[in-house]
Amino acid sequence: MKVRHFGAAFLTAVVTASLVTLSAQGRGGAAPAAPPPSPRAAALIDLTGYWVSLVTEDWRYRQFTPPKGDYTSVPLNPNGRKVADAWDPAKDEAAGDQCKAYGAAGVMRIPGRLHVTWQDDNTLKLETDAGTQTRTLRFGQPQGTADTWQGVSTTSWDQPRAIFASPIPNRGGPALTGGSLKVVTTNMKPGYLRKNGVPYSANAVMTEYFDRLDVPGGESLIVVTAEIVDPEYLTTPYWTSTHYRREAGATGWHPTPCAAR
Amino acid sequence: MKIPNSKSQAPNPNRGVPKPSLRNSVLLGFGIWVLGFGICFSTLLAQAPPAPPAATPPSGPAIDISGYWTPTMNEDGMERGPGSELADYGGFALNEAGRLWALSYDPSRVTLRNHQCDAYVTPYQMRATGNFRAWEERDPHTQRLVAIHWWAQVTEGHRVIWMDGRPHPPAWAPHTFRGFSTGRFVGTSLVVYTTHLKQGWLRRNGTPESDQATVTEFFVRHGDHLTNTTVVTDPVFLTEPQLRSNDYYRAPVDHGTWLYACDDSEQIVGRAPEVVPFYPFGKQPFAREYSEKYKIPLASTLSGAASMYPGFADTLKNMPDTAAAALLQPAPGRPSETSKAVDPEPRDGEIHVLPIRNNVYMLVGDGGNIVVQTGDQGAFVVDTGQGRLSDKVIAAIDKLSEKPIQFIANTSFHAEHTGGNARLSAAGMDPSLPGSFFVNSAPRGVTGFFSDPLRHATMLAHNNVLTRMQEANAPTEAQPADTYLEEHRRKFHNGDSIEMFYEPNAVTDGDSLVVFRRADVIVAGDIFTTTQYPFIDAKNGGSVNGEIKALNDILNRTNYEHEGEGGTYVVPGHGFLADEHEVTEYRDMVVIVRDRVKAMIDAAATLAQVKAARLTADYDTRYGSNTGPWTTEMFVEAVYNSLKAAPTNRGGR
Repeated sequence: MKVRHFGAAFLTAVVTASLVTLSAQGRGGAAPAAPPPSPRAAALIDLTGYWVSLVTEDWRYRQFTPPKGDYTSVPLNPNGRKVADAWDPAKDEAAGDQCKAYGAAGVMRIPGRLHVTWQDDNTLKLETDAGTQTRTLRFGQPQGTADTWQGVSTTSWDQPRAIFASPIPNRGGPALTGGSLKVVTTNMKPGYLRKNGVPYSANAVMTEYFDRLDVPGGESLIVVTAEIVDPEYLTTPYWTSTHYRREAGATGWHPTPCAAR
Repeated sequence: MKIPNSKSQAPNPNRGVPKPSLRNSVLLGFGIWVLGFGICFSTLLAQAPPAPPAATPPSGPAIDISGYWTPTMNEDGMERGPGSELADYGGFALNEAGRLWALSYDPSRVTLRNHQCDAYVTPYQMRATGNFRAWEERDPHTQRLVAIHWWAQVTEGHRVIWMDGRPHPPAWAPHTFRGFSTGRFVGTSLVVYTTHLKQGWLRRNGTPESDQATVTEFFVRHGDHLTNTTVVTDPVFLTEPQLRSNDYYRAPVDHGTWLYACDDSEQIVGRAPEVVPFYPFGKQPFAREYSEKYKIPLASTLSGAASMYPGFADTLKNMPDTAAAALLQPAPGRPSETSKAVDPEPRDGEIHVLPIRNNVYMLVGDGGNIVVQTGDQGAFVVDTGQGRLSDKVIAAIDKLSEKPIQFIANTSFHAEHTGGNARLSAAGMDPSLPGSFFVNSAPRGVTGFFSDPLRHATMLAHNNVLTRMQEANAPTEAQPADTYLEEHRRKFHNGDSIEMFYEPNAVTDGDSLVVFRRADVIVAGDIFTTTQYPFIDAKNGGSVNGEIKALNDILNRTNYEHEGEGGTYVVPGHGFLADEHEVTEYRDMVVIVRDRVKAMIDAAATLAQVKAARLTADYDTRYGSNTGPWTTEMFVEAVYNSLKAAPTNRGGR
């Protein structure tokens, strides 16, 4: 054994020890470890309530069903274009697939209202009146049923976080407050990004961040930033950010069935 | 375990030091790791008390947006890439004025020299294509965050988001395309508030944003994904806040392309200087193109805020085409809207000084704006305000100038520009005259105000100012004695070349522009204001065509510093310090209204019919008034009358 190897190993151990030690100092207190708070108790932001979508972007594609083959801005690959060009809403209706645009990757872009509630301490329930859909966002393990419109979601609270804590006490900046709701959804039944048959596949993975933005002296907003990765139909990730404004109550909440056209 | 002496160990394996066996290394590493872990674990068990918090925690960002960013175009790709389609205003909360402004907009307007290099205003800049870059500015000594800079390649937009708590400028400060931004961290977002924007676009097809708009932004970062959400509040053109968001992905290396060169030039050779391309109300030739192309109702893009909400399409199903077509022109029978702009007058009984450039200052607070130039000679003052706060004006000038007021120039005879003449003149002196041939040889009384130049400043103006003041029986001591009759009056004073240019039959028949050549400042008087329609005083020789010529004369003397802004400053008779962009928008407005009125006169319309047509409907929320000394109706009437009859010109050219 040579000194340089010992030195490196010793240094690693000391640094590791220091990091954990200092981290422990920052926490303080001698109470026994308590169970972690429930996701509801630990909520970084309050998303509950009624929210109305504000359709200010991709307006024509969202307020009106665009013509077949109009997939401007969506990075479709040749397979995706082929599927989009074959869109046949009558066929969808005949097959009972009127909800293909109301799956998790499409429903947030449909003009409508959201109703967000805590189903229990571990589960946020997100309902849409457009298409009368329900997304069940359970924290922890992936939740949902594969091959359904809303797929399987993994839900967590999210904050910017360094891989390691700062080794210098109280030099990490002020403690963060707030954050985002992060939802990763997979195993969705193939559906439409837009009502005119712009497709996503069963292999699509959608990562969403729900951020609540409170305009000083003004309104409360939710912005849902979504990234959809679908190697089957997309050449690059597809990014959108969709807006909602908080409403005082259920006025305007009008559940409607899915519509294929 | 034997620890070898490190000093005896050669540092370089190439010198023949035998390598330790893998087994030994693993064992030793594991042992040390166990040791370290034991230390850690025992420390955790010991539950050491937390270190005391720092007395003043360093202020730092909750998120870091520094780096290179590339915008994604997955939303509104058409608008943000090749360009938005004409008459597509869907999803915008436009009020009637905003909708009509947009419909009146002819894209050929960008062929005008003064529009060719217009930069993007912040809400549109953030949606532009091109590359973006953000970086921090920190105090070198304290490392506190002073500002976050944001650079946009297209139109070379450089935003500074001040993070040091400084206040926003006063209402009379200049506006810029990027506006004045301050920021703070809230939770995990950067919240930015922006004021002092110029007039610009929300969408590149003429969807307007006024210079009264304010913007609240949220920057939120998720890994290498940055989302910028903008909330535009614009009382002039919007009925409710306009919300949009822009997404960017982080680029690992410098994009390498950051510039956007622009120089204006002649686009249409031989075009008359007073031509401003626009579409008459109800005659936008492309108004139906978008709806017909995509088979959506005509009203869908013209319905303002309603178009943003769920169920909107259903509301249009039973709308007759006539109702939709009515949205293409002003609603008949409605009273004129009034200005929703912030009043830039402080109205606090104080005089506020705004440095312009070099030794030139703008004084605000006593009605019309006052300009003061200082130097080793006496102060040169342009206009004297309403005269209610003259003592405070004089006190403010005394602070700026070691020398007394030597010259006063009047841009017009109107009381808000000459009201302080007597007081300010009496507070000054003109030491250039005593002992001169001019004074010594003149019989006492003949030279009037020149007779005792050490007891007053010398007042300069076009001769028609003197005539109008005499007609109005203004006090002798308020009347300018040093007048000029023709195009030009000039002085070299305090190291600058100062010129007065006569603008016949603009607001009155005695208007002058005062130009400080070296400081590059033009004092416009009431030829240009940021507060109201031009006060075309037809009874005193004003005319709309003279006003347009005067505005173009200003623009012939301005130059921008960068991408259509900065450079020559223009001091309005009332309102905030401007540059050529504001004058250009104002000139466009006067020309467009003039042409609309003229078209109706050519069609044999009466004045009553012209007034009822609401020809200023797209500008009323910015400049309109239904009360006070200068109403929208009076402006329209002045335009009508001055087009129907040749203006009264007392000469001067």
